[in-house]
Amino acid sequence: MTIIWGGLALGAVYALVAVGYNIVFISSKTFNFAQAQLMMVGTFVAHTGLVTLRLPVALVVLMATAAVMAVAAVEERLAIRPVGDPEAVLVTTLGAAVLLNGLTQLVWGGQPLTVPFFGGDQVLELLGGRVYPVEIALVVVAVALVVLFTWFSRRFVTGLALLAMAEDREAAMLRGIDVRRLAFWTFAASGALAGLLGVFVGPKTFAVATLGASLALKGFVVVAIGGFGSMPGTLVGGLVVGLVEALAARHLGSEYASISVFAVLIAILLVRPSGLFVRTRERAV
Amino acid sequence: MMQRFVTAAMAAASAAALLAGCGSGETGGGADGPYRVLMTAGLSTQGALAGNAATSVLSVRASVAQVNRAGGVAGRKVELTVVDDEGNPTTALTKIRQAIAAQRPDAVVNAGPSTVAAATLPVLKQYKILSFNIAPTEDSANPAVNPLNFDMTGNPEDYIRGFIPHLKEKGYRSAGIVHGSTATGVTFAEQMEPALKAAGITVVGNQEYDSAALDMTPQLQALQSKNPDVLVMDGYGAPVGHLLKGVEKLGWNVPIVANNSVSATGLISTPPPTGVLGTPQVRNLVTQVYRSTVHDPADRAVNEVVAAMAALGKIESTLIMATNYDVLPLIAAAAAKVGHAGDPQALAKALEDPQVQASAKVVIIRRYNFRPDSHGPNLAADDLAFVAPSPLKNGQFQ
Repeated sequence: MTIIWGGLALGAVYALVAVGYNIVFISSKTFNFAQAQLMMVGTFVAHTGLVTLRLPVALVVLMATAAVMAVAAVEERLAIRPVGDPEAVLVTTLGAAVLLNGLTQLVWGGQPLTVPFFGGDQVLELLGGRVYPVEIALVVVAVALVVLFTWFSRRFVTGLALLAMAEDREAAMLRGIDVRRLAFWTFAASGALAGLLGVFVGPKTFAVATLGASLALKGFVVVAIGGFGSMPGTLVGGLVVGLVEALAARHLGSEYASISVFAVLIAILLVRPSGLFVRTRERAV
Repeated sequence: MMQRFVTAAMAAASAAALLAGCGSGETGGGADGPYRVLMTAGLSTQGALAGNAATSVLSVRASVAQVNRAGGVAGRKVELTVVDDEGNPTTALTKIRQAIAAQRPDAVVNAGPSTVAAATLPVLKQYKILSFNIAPTEDSANPAVNPLNFDMTGNPEDYIRGFIPHLKEKGYRSAGIVHGSTATGVTFAEQMEPALKAAGITVVGNQEYDSAALDMTPQLQALQSKNPDVLVMDGYGAPVGHLLKGVEKLGWNVPIVANNSVSATGLISTPPPTGVLGTPQVRNLVTQVYRSTVHDPADRAVNEVVAAMAALGKIESTLIMATNYDVLPLIAAAAAKVGHAGDPQALAKALEDPQVQASAKVVIIRRYNFRPDSHGPNLAADDLAFVAPSPLKNGQFQ
């Protein structure tokens, strides 16, 4: 059961990255390759707030949220807004990811830094397994975030406007939605979320300049499994990836961990080319 | 026709020889001029690499000052030039070529990483320049490939040789190995397993983890299920933290003996909340280090070097990066035997002489055992020690 808990926690981290990918995808129909790096910056800001400045957790959450939101806003203005073509945006956001990797190493160095978890660091016995409190918190946060976002997108005008943009950008504009403005604020919100999650992800992963690279690919796999734009899909996809990775590493050997994840991805895409939670739609041409 | 061809070929050969002569610049500092040492280091890199480079440069600066105070190399004053190679093999190669063209150095020292050594050693061999390398590559210590190069840090065999007496002394009869997927980690595991078996220690498992992974609990649990007496660990950076967390999470009370890359990870020498020093995670951990990286108030020679380095600047990484301090005493000892410092081949031959090695006033490693068939330091087991994590001050564990 210890391995299951570990797999679920790891899957929750991947799902949280994938949620950020999806928020940007829904609003802009593009893919922010720097999303995992934004979360990495969040872990560093959390370290600075909690360890260096010894600030209260609530203040650190606000600080990380604001700081990474600002970074995301700058990224949108410099790497996305001037580039019209969504395919070119893939390249510019990849450039932003590389830049963030370098900048974090310049500011915080190359050594891993701990991020204390406000819920304690004593190992707990739970359902026959051993687990850190932060691992339970990660699973709870991932589930809560997906439920919250699904509820928000169905109950609030902004959420409905986002879904309308995702369905048909031009039709949304005709209905009076300022898609550029909404896309900017959605991008900034994805950054804010990445910052906020730094206090949860950092205690599991450490704040380290290689974190973005570790999370980016698996986050993408999660989105592909769940389906681009599907929030429930990110949760299921994340947990599938985390569990497959952990169980394969335990029973087959670590060299099969990533291979097993990609085998599952291929199998799912063969049966459901658009992912588990997105239907393939015919398009009139 | 044939005569014209031969004439043209001779003209081309003469031109090539002339150009080569122009390209090689002056030959060292001459018999009476300064002994020129060129050092390449990634001064503008970031993170751990920058700290390593800075520490290595400090050590050479301190060494140059000491050797010059003692009369230089065969009476020649040592002149050090440090260039920033950005930790980039291409930049290092360019800077070395520029130096050779402008004012050919007598010796070249690098500060790593091994990619820089792999790129630059063939050129140094081509120009017959004595070189000292801190980041061993597959063939950097092989005199058949690099006859004028000497490695200043141990190779995997050295470190593994150091593990066995410690494990035997502790009475461990079975071991589990956990290692990263990096080249260092894989080599460590490949050589550790047969070495343990040869020493009569049963290897119950040899688990690899992806160095980018965020949780190594599965690999650790696989080893825990076989109940070894000791866990032999390789890792650097965040994976060390994940491994220690994994052991704690499993509630596994097992002695952990780790290699020197674990000791170079700041997490274990830093107290909470930044690191894990003094926490239950490192309760059972010992790491392999050079004896000189452990502070010993009675070791006057090492303490003087540390003081000299600290006076020149902050020592940012462990003294393992200070083995370049020993380069100048080695050259000085070799030159004393040869009688002059102008012939790199004669100096290289002298460096293989055990009497020269014994007379060299080296400090960071007690003795460099270069041999005609191996230009690695071939460390003695007593040059290495196993210590529990402790705070790092001036590059030494306290």
